Amino acid sequence: MTQVLDRERIAEWLQQTPQRPWTKKPVRLQSWIALAALAPAIIVALLFTYTDLPGPVLMVVVYLPLQLVASGVAAFATKGRQGVADSVIIVNAIGATIFSFVILFSVLGSLIVRGIEALWGEDGFRSSFLFQNNVYINPSTPLEYGGLGHAIVGTLMIVLIASLIAVPIGIATAIYITEVRGRAVPYVRFFVQAMSGIPSIVAGLFILTVLIVSGAIGQSAFAGGLAYAILMLPTVARTAEEVLRLIPEDLRTGALALGSTRARVVFRVVIPAAKTGIITAIILGVARVIGETAPLLLTSLKSDQTILNPLSDPIAALPTYIFDNVALPYPGAVTRAWGAALVLMIIVLLLFTLARIIGQDRLNKSR
Amino acid sequence: MSLPRTEVQRDLKSAATSHTGDRLFNRSVTLAAFTALIVLAGIATFLGFSAVEALRTQGLDFLFTTEWSVDQADPKAGIWGMLYGSVLLSVIGLVIAIPASLLLSVFIVFLAPRRLARVMTNVVDLMAAIPSIILGLWAFYLLTPPAEEWQFLLNKYLGWIPIFQNDSGNFNGTPFIAGFVLAIMMIPIITSVSREVLGRTPPDLINAAEALGCSLWTMLRYVALPYGRGGIVGGIMLGLGRALGETIAIFFVLKLVFDTNWYKIIESGGGSVATLIVATFGEVSGPYELNLLLAAGFFLFVGTLIVNVLANLIVQRTGKM
Repeated sequence: MTQVLDRERIAEWLQQTPQRPWTKKPVRLQSWIALAALAPAIIVALLFTYTDLPGPVLMVVVYLPLQLVASGVAAFATKGRQGVADSVIIVNAIGATIFSFVILFSVLGSLIVRGIEALWGEDGFRSSFLFQNNVYINPSTPLEYGGLGHAIVGTLMIVLIASLIAVPIGIATAIYITEVRGRAVPYVRFFVQAMSGIPSIVAGLFILTVLIVSGAIGQSAFAGGLAYAILMLPTVARTAEEVLRLIPEDLRTGALALGSTRARVVFRVVIPAAKTGIITAIILGVARVIGETAPLLLTSLKSDQTILNPLSDPIAALPTYIFDNVALPYPGAVTRAWGAALVLMIIVLLLFTLARIIGQDRLNKSR
Repeated sequence: MSLPRTEVQRDLKSAATSHTGDRLFNRSVTLAAFTALIVLAGIATFLGFSAVEALRTQGLDFLFTTEWSVDQADPKAGIWGMLYGSVLLSVIGLVIAIPASLLLSVFIVFLAPRRLARVMTNVVDLMAAIPSIILGLWAFYLLTPPAEEWQFLLNKYLGWIPIFQNDSGNFNGTPFIAGFVLAIMMIPIITSVSREVLGRTPPDLINAAEALGCSLWTMLRYVALPYGRGGIVGGIMLGLGRALGETIAIFFVLKLVFDTNWYKIIESGGGSVATLIVATFGEVSGPYELNLLLAAGFFLFVGTLIVNVLANLIVQRTGKM
């Protein structure tokens, strides 16, 4: 059935006032919105000044419920029943957002405030904290002496060993999935995903039981590196796989058509084309493991000296340095721990920023 | 009319194996690809041996009783309190993290202006980047003192609810604080997955819902959430896998006790398998106790493996839809 649009009906429609969301809201609505936004804050501010209830309690017990009720009332007045559910979601969503902001900035802020104490004294920037080691240092030694140089060397060594093992295997896994495309691809992907769920402590236990308890190697940088490699491999493999997937199929078929072998296609065409992406994968893998503590507690123990032999001696690393210093009941040691935590966090952030910049670069170029 | 046959018909599959160098290349890459399987199997075997040994000497008591007196002539060990503790902490973490992450992703996808959404995405990524030892340090020095006061207030005013009971008057090292820290670790994982699946809701569906007069809530309830349900559940389970295996952060904030803390979440003391291993390893009394720790590690491994595999299957299945 077709409706005939006669003049009268059109005129009838035109007489209805259409809603115009872009016009100024009427005063009634504006006042409701202002009330919902201001009333809870004013009430809480008054309570805060005239009673001795602590601020956080007021925020959670008084302000949040009041804001919920006020927004609900305002929404009911302006939009009816449907508005109430919306207002509850919006208020809570903003609350959750502020919550995550507060947590993040509390963590970063405390790191900076407390970490600076170790890195910065009356004498200015203490490079000694970054370069000296922990020999002759006891928990009550002034902060001018000693530092985490040995731990930085240890972390570098362990991460380097882990990368030397995990990066080739991880990239080879990605190549198997995207280039060789054997029959086992779904299984390989499944195993890599399952491997990414291995708890870090279990990786440490595995290396401990296979290599250390059996007497093959001692607790050392090499053992720690192996434990890190287990955690690093899935990250490298999955990121590299995603990157290799982006390489256009034409490049491969073109190279094959020119008569190159499969291996050459991979080494001369695919990997050079995906170079920056693969570097990103490596950086993300390093960033994933560099803060892991639990496996090192089992596999590399600790040391006060700068150890350069990766095979035989227990060695210090940044996370274990933090762990050991927190356990000491002296404020100086705890300050050292915060300083080390700040250094570790800065390293992690630098790695992530680097990965993002490189990744961005690749995207821009491909566009 | 057909084209004359070329002398050699090379199809790409056989080309891959027709050359010696290629064959070598294929073999070695395939071998490397199975490293993941080898590692998983190795962990299962080696820790499995220890688990069998522990079960042989301790019987099922190893799993279902709560005791740790191994330096005696007749050693007794049971990790029930730890297994249950791991689950309890994760549940507390999930109760906090699920609503927070869902709201956060709704805010990022549907509410925030574009620039703020990008900032929030970075904030969430940053949260994921914090190493757990730093989170533990922060939780020990900055979270615990105010949390103790809050728990004191909770107990004072809501103490009649069983889970808020506290008999010792000590609010330090409670499962609640540890669960809260786990929630902070899970929020970025769950948020990034659910943000992605909610963001993939077809705009047509959203527009249609809005044209039909749906409010934000009805749109979420009937369009976006059903569409992204699988992905969200998978993200939650990924977070759960992370929480079950978390060690160091919990070591800082939880007072490890062997008695099972069944439900008193603001009572000092709780358990966690992963933390038990780290806490006991330093003063391990001999090979037998070490073996028990390895066995505990095996059950931790099996638990996280199951959760993770399920999570990945769920995420994959929704990815294909």
